[in-house]
Amino acid sequence: MNAMKWSSKNISFFNVKLSLFAYVLITLFALLSFSSTFAAEEKLGNINNTVNQQLGIKSPATDLWRAVRQRKFDGSEGLSSTTQANSLGANELINVKGQEWRNFRMGQLVPYAAYLLVGVLLALVLFRLIRGKIKIKAGRSGKKILRFSPFQRFVHWSVAILFVVLGITGTLLTFGKSGLIPIIGSSAFGTIAGFGKLLHDYLGPVFGIMLLIMLFTFIKGNFANLTDMKWFLKGGGMFGNHASAGRYNGGEKAWFWLAILAGAVIVVSGVILDFPYFNQTRDDLQLSHLVHAVAGIALLAASFGHIFMGTVAMEGAYEAMKTGYCDENWAKEHHDLWYADLQKQGTTASSDADT
Amino acid sequence: MANVKFYCDSERCIECNGCVTACKNENDIPWGINRRRVVTIKDGEPGERSLSVACMHCSDAPCAAVCPVDCFYTTDNGIVLHNKDTCIGCGYCSYACPFGAPQFPESGAFASKGKMDKCTFCAGGPEETGSAEEYKKYGANRLAEGKLPLCAEMCATKALLAGDANIVSDIYRKRVIKRSMSNLASNVGIQKSLLGSSPDLTGKVTK
Repeated sequence: MNAMKWSSKNISFFNVKLSLFAYVLITLFALLSFSSTFAAEEKLGNINNTVNQQLGIKSPATDLWRAVRQRKFDGSEGLSSTTQANSLGANELINVKGQEWRNFRMGQLVPYAAYLLVGVLLALVLFRLIRGKIKIKAGRSGKKILRFSPFQRFVHWSVAILFVVLGITGTLLTFGKSGLIPIIGSSAFGTIAGFGKLLHDYLGPVFGIMLLIMLFTFIKGNFANLTDMKWFLKGGGMFGNHASAGRYNGGEKAWFWLAILAGAVIVVSGVILDFPYFNQTRDDLQLSHLVHAVAGIALLAASFGHIFMGTVAMEGAYEAMKTGYCDENWAKEHHDLWYADLQKQGTTASSDADT
Repeated sequence: MANVKFYCDSERCIECNGCVTACKNENDIPWGINRRRVVTIKDGEPGERSLSVACMHCSDAPCAAVCPVDCFYTTDNGIVLHNKDTCIGCGYCSYACPFGAPQFPESGAFASKGKMDKCTFCAGGPEETGSAEEYKKYGANRLAEGKLPLCAEMCATKALLAGDANIVSDIYRKRVIKRSMSNLASNVGIQKSLLGSSPDLTGKVTK
């Protein structure tokens, strides 16, 4: 009975925290694994109880150690635990949470993250092969319109480069063991990963700061409106039909907010892991790692889509962020409402990029 | 030597912390690192028990399973060791370990984590056996000298046992049988003459 009470408490604990991030796929796998872990735990407890009952033995030691294992130090079981070692959590004799964390990381996170990332890449390749490059239908007009100011481009590329470096070093830690160590050996990989971890630890907080600057730089024009709803209903004009869009289309806005929100989750959980000297317990670090990894992988998968659309998928998109200027016909086709606004203000040829 | 194991007998441990001191001294462990510690449950209450805990050298070690750089290895004796040259100080082993064995020195800028340090069963590390480098990184290699871990050797009440798993479990099994017999005798009321001894509730058997 005690084991049951304990397990249901813990399942809902992870459930609530995870559902915050609503990454349905990975969440589902995680919950499946947790519930099966606890089912096994319950079964074992029941067997122990049955054996004890059959023998007519009531061993106080069994109950004591079971309580220790289930970490009932909250006073309800009257257990206290002390030690002379003064590091945090040193008085904890056994922490069974680590096993759940291990099972999640090795059994779910690493394989399913690999499936997700490879799956998204394959889907993009498939899309490119079927749909081909999205060309400017009317051809290039040769007339340039200012789309991004130098400061906007600086912020975008700072965040982008940091994101790529953090993404590479992060996935190195996640997949290196199964992907790289069999090829180059653990000693060489350790050197690379050690350097990667340093980069990750130091650039992470910088990414957080740049993300905040990005929020303020691009928030104007990124609030959702009815046009975006229509844009999504039309599938972004992916199927040949036209979907109207302002300065940013629904997809760009969704990516912006995903990057900001998932990015914030990643930064907060990352800082907790990066500076573990504010009395974070091992449980806090396990949960932070879990959140950090799930949110990071999800954002990475989404970023593939963004990078794909911004470079190889669409003619005229990359130059806007590279040079700051886009072709007039590109603006007409992909951001018609923005172009109409510019024309109304008579600024199509001017340098007002903040419109 | 066969598979080696630690075992701490909670009926004997008196929380003297002799094992902790022995470990720190023998391996020249820096401040703030506790390869071994003694945990007391219900301190000062009826049913108080103490246990000395360090790395338990698991057969299916969680630390080794989650290590992203694969720096752990298990020796022929079943001792879980790690390579500090490969270790990157990520801390994953400490999240996974149920016993809190992995320790991290605070080194570098912003007190970032250094290379992980843990109990080696006094078996040194991957460096050349008996070398100064090995001692500096991993501590003593008593096993190579034919000795057992000092914590267990120093234990005054012989609560902490270390060595060949079969012998350790034999010793502990005998203790358990002796305690159970005496408890059973006093509970069921077996005649003194039958057993040839007079057990009491504390498990002591007196002639």
